[in-house]
Amino acid sequence: MNCATPNATDPRLATDLCGVRLRTPILTASGTCGYGPEYADVLDYRRLGGFTTKSVTLRERPGNNPERIVEVRAGMLNAIGLANVGMDRFMVEKLPFIRTMPTAVFVNVAGHSMDDYVRVAETLDGADGLAGIELNVSCPNVSDGLMFGTDARLLRELVAAVRGVTRRGKLIVKLTPNVTDICDLARAAIDGGADALSMINTYVGMAIDTQNWKPMLANVTGGLSGPAIRPLALYLIHRVYRGVAREAKIPIIGMGGIQSTRDAIEFFLVGASAVAVGTALFIDPTLPVKIADGLCEYLESKNLQSVSELIGQVKLPA
Amino acid sequence: MTLVKTQKLCAAEARVTRVEHPCRAHVRLHFALPSFPKSDPGQFVQISAHPNRDDAPRELCWPTDEMPRPMMADWSAEDAFLRRPFSLADRRELADGRSELTVISRAIGRGTRWLDSLQIGDALNISGPLGRGFRLPAQSDTCILVGGGVGIPPLIYLARQLCEARFSDVVVILGAMSRDLLPVVLTAEPACNGAARECVLLADGVSYPSIVATNDGTLGIRGLVTDALREHVSHAGILADHTHVFACGPERMLHAVAEQTRALGLHCQLCIERMMGCGMGTCLSCVTAVNDASRPAGWRWGLACGEGPVFDRDRLKWD
Ligand SMILES: Cc1cc2nc3c(=O)[nH]c(=O)nc-3n(C[C@H](O)[C@H](O)[C@H](O)COP(=O)(O)OP(=O)(O)OC[C@H]3O[C@@H](n4cnc5c(N)ncnc54)[C@H](O)[C@@H]3O)c2cc1C
Ligand SMILES: Cc1cc2nc3c(=O)[nH]c(=O)nc-3n(C[C@H](O)[C@H](O)[C@H](O)COP(=O)(O)O)c2cc1C
Ligand code: FES
Repeated sequence: MNCATPNATDPRLATDLCGVRLRTPILTASGTCGYGPEYADVLDYRRLGGFTTKSVTLRERPGNNPERIVEVRAGMLNAIGLANVGMDRFMVEKLPFIRTMPTAVFVNVAGHSMDDYVRVAETLDGADGLAGIELNVSCPNVSDGLMFGTDARLLRELVAAVRGVTRRGKLIVKLTPNVTDICDLARAAIDGGADALSMINTYVGMAIDTQNWKPMLANVTGGLSGPAIRPLALYLIHRVYRGVAREAKIPIIGMGGIQSTRDAIEFFLVGASAVAVGTALFIDPTLPVKIADGLCEYLESKNLQSVSELIGQVKLPA
Repeated sequence: MTLVKTQKLCAAEARVTRVEHPCRAHVRLHFALPSFPKSDPGQFVQISAHPNRDDAPRELCWPTDEMPRPMMADWSAEDAFLRRPFSLADRRELADGRSELTVISRAIGRGTRWLDSLQIGDALNISGPLGRGFRLPAQSDTCILVGGGVGIPPLIYLARQLCEARFSDVVVILGAMSRDLLPVVLTAEPACNGAARECVLLADGVSYPSIVATNDGTLGIRGLVTDALREHVSHAGILADHTHVFACGPERMLHAVAEQTRALGLHCQLCIERMMGCGMGTCLSCVTAVNDASRPAGWRWGLACGEGPVFDRDRLKWD
């Protein structure tokens, strides 16, 4: 029953994500894998579906004061505050390594204003060796981070503006779960011209130190990630797939607490075309490769020829 | 089984080889790996409470009509989620070619209580060595190792390395709240007058003249390690420019050591602790303020897991 050679480069795992050929449908999630060099010693990028960098903003951001993270039951809260070197230094210090990475790389872009996003996207679109950009309109840890991600009209305008300068690379829009109806936002992103959606970013949360009555995070609130949000992420992907994305033929990159092959399969079944591993990389950076191997065994056992035969195939009651 | 191994970093399963309880509060765990890259004192390892559960599917046969068994058993709520960082407290190469690492842990929460429960033969998942360790001075220089409580472990490994490199002018100053919280084995009663004497077995075969300070006076002198340090330096007649202080312990202690050594003109390296999510430079959680003249503000956030955890005193920005 087992694959003769469990192999993350098995052709059955090959995935077409809005025109980008991925070796496997397993990517890394932004902010949990740095810019590439950090995991180069342990994670074999030749066996990874795709890599998403930490957010890049127009100008350097030092990030929030510590404490920036706290572990909670089945996950963690983070309030890193989009710490990054800024676009100019990114191009000089980070991009050369990224270009050598033998996997599809998406650069995650964040900003304060439409103009910020457009300038960064335009610069990145001019660079060789990138598969595309992922628009982070959903960071809960900066004062105006959620502005674009929670207002459908603004989001549509932003995506359209970035679309205008993103000619060579693909445009992925990353959605926040911190909204009333995520389908409105998904629709806005697609109307604006997104090639794919990625979802979800973290849920806003808090933790308090009961000894001194102070918040555990200097930022007071943080984004909840890890297995705690997995069922929630699954549900939102299910909704967006059935409500918007399937009909629009826009693929979804699913994420939120994925830790195993089984978790990934759940995401495919509700409609994700690919999945990303985030927080779980902190525990095991090689997880995307292990999940790909496990997926290969699963396809074999189910007599399936490709992952696409799983996508959206959840059997709902009649 | 080794999962991934490169020259610099390894992530592998280790087996507990020895368990010791040097005092009431600490457990000293030794565990063996098939091999381990070159490491320095001050570097740390990240330990996972989930030894290779994620590796299971290799042996799994997916049932055709059922959902597959999870790759990783769903972690119980009480399980620690992220890895936990621990300083290397010793390292030896075993006769059978394996590497044996030592950590000393104080049980304070989920992860450390799990470590405390381990027995010989149990598996744990290790990644490391991580971070930047202590840098050794010239062999003829004077070394003073200052450790407070749970900061003592990296200094034990440092003592081992100094011993192997035949440093002879070494004094160890150890502090704890109380006698039964000091994570080392005593071979003699420490002096109560602050004199350095060989009274502590730091690691197998490693002993240097030592001074012990306890807050409650139940062992050695009553007081803080910084009192002992001041006392020792004033009596020992040291050459400031050839004296290096290596310290690890609570933040307030490090602060005091930094001030003292600066005032006396001694070299000083400090091993700091920060909340760590990944230990590998990706989560950006373990920041500490470091001086950087090239920045407009004169400082920036530095990663304790990458630039540290050992920093030169003057690199750290103290407020
Ligand atoms: C580089 C480094 C080296 C370390 N070396 C040692 C060592 O040799 N021996 C040892 O006993 N401990 C060491 N620590 C501290 C150790 O990592 C924490 O005690 C441990 O992570 C707590 O885990 P827990 O699940 O038991 O506690 P939790 O239940 O997670 O938390 C209990 C308490 O510990 C605090 N805490 C949690 N994680 C950390 C952390 N990473 N650093 C500081 N405090 C934390 C929490 O805020 C909380 O107050 C080191 C930490 C670092 C960063
Ligand atoms: C420490 C940390 C930093 C993150 N930084 C970013 C970021 O810079 N940009 C972004 O779009 N998402 C960021 N995320 C969100 C993740 O990419 C992901 O959407 C989320 O954590 C859910 O997936 P997970 O549960 O697998 O981690 C971050 C998450 C964590 C835990
Ligand atoms: S612990 Fe994650 S960056 Fe240092």
